[in-house]
Amino acid sequence: MPEVADIEQLPVSQARAGEPAAWDTLFRRYQLPLYVYVFELVRDEQAGLDLVQETFIAAARHLGSLREDAKFSSWLFGIAHQKCIQRWRQRKEFLFDEIPETTDEFDDGPDELLIRQEQEAEFMNLLNLLPPPQRSVLLLHFVEDFALEEIARITEKPLGTVKSRLHYAKRALRKLLEEPK
Amino acid sequence: MKTPRDILFTRHRAAMPKLDAIRREVVTNFNHQDTKAPSWTMILVSWCLGGSIQLWRELVWPCRRIWSGLAVVWILLLVINVAQRDRASVNLAKASPPAVSLMTFRDQQKLLNELFADRSLPAEAERPRIYLPKPRTEKSEERCV
Repeated sequence: MPEVADIEQLPVSQARAGEPAAWDTLFRRYQLPLYVYVFELVRDEQAGLDLVQETFIAAARHLGSLREDAKFSSWLFGIAHQKCIQRWRQRKEFLFDEIPETTDEFDDGPDELLIRQEQEAEFMNLLNLLPPPQRSVLLLHFVEDFALEEIARITEKPLGTVKSRLHYAKRALRKLLEEPK
Repeated sequence: MKTPRDILFTRHRAAMPKLDAIRREVVTNFNHQDTKAPSWTMILVSWCLGGSIQLWRELVWPCRRIWSGLAVVWILLLVINVAQRDRASVNLAKASPPAVSLMTFRDQQKLLNELFADRSLPAEAERPRIYLPKPRTEKSEERCV
């Protein structure tokens, strides 16, 4: 399982210099987290693979636009997020912002959800039932453990919106996990 | 007990070979010049190249037969022109102008000048009349008389 590497260890500057080995390291590090995020949003294997490839290509082309190397991770997920939205818009499946959202303040602590083996299938089902905006925020939180500010930057949404989405998604999950079997 | 991250990653681990293939493909086809800041000369060259390719596609290629026909005509004209120039220079080099021919040439030139000078001047008969209107009082006096 790929571990969340320290940002300082990532060879972003070498990749910026055009070293293919550095790109290989970066892509290897992010390929599975990106795929998980993209797949759980689009729910299609081929589309997920295509979107990961498109994200890699776009990242290689536009790395010059990244100002801070430390933000490479959120920048890469931001590209993937935009690719998902583009795909939805092209297919006219739904608009990402159709669901009404509240911008109330919530204080969710850095709690770790733990899921029993028998609950895994239910967890996945519930994840799929969540509206895409909530699912997106929750996935970013789970997959890369992004901070709320980073999720706000990736999804291009206000911090309050991200907080409320994460709060509702987590509440729904907790409800599932607390239900007696 | 597993974290959501563990569950998600385990579920999608089967996609790793495909993701590896995608990564390898992208890195292999990756042109590292894309990420480097391009120099001005490169920008200029690419701009000129792009412009000329577009010009070729939109202007030349759709009417390629017409353009090639025109090109052939121009080449023929150029060849004929060059051939005639060579011949004239050879003739001039061969024959130095004799004094008699120079005299006749001057006479002819003089004659031509005279002819053109005559034509340039309008004939006396063809001059338009200048009509000066007379006052009405004078006209009535004439009638009376």
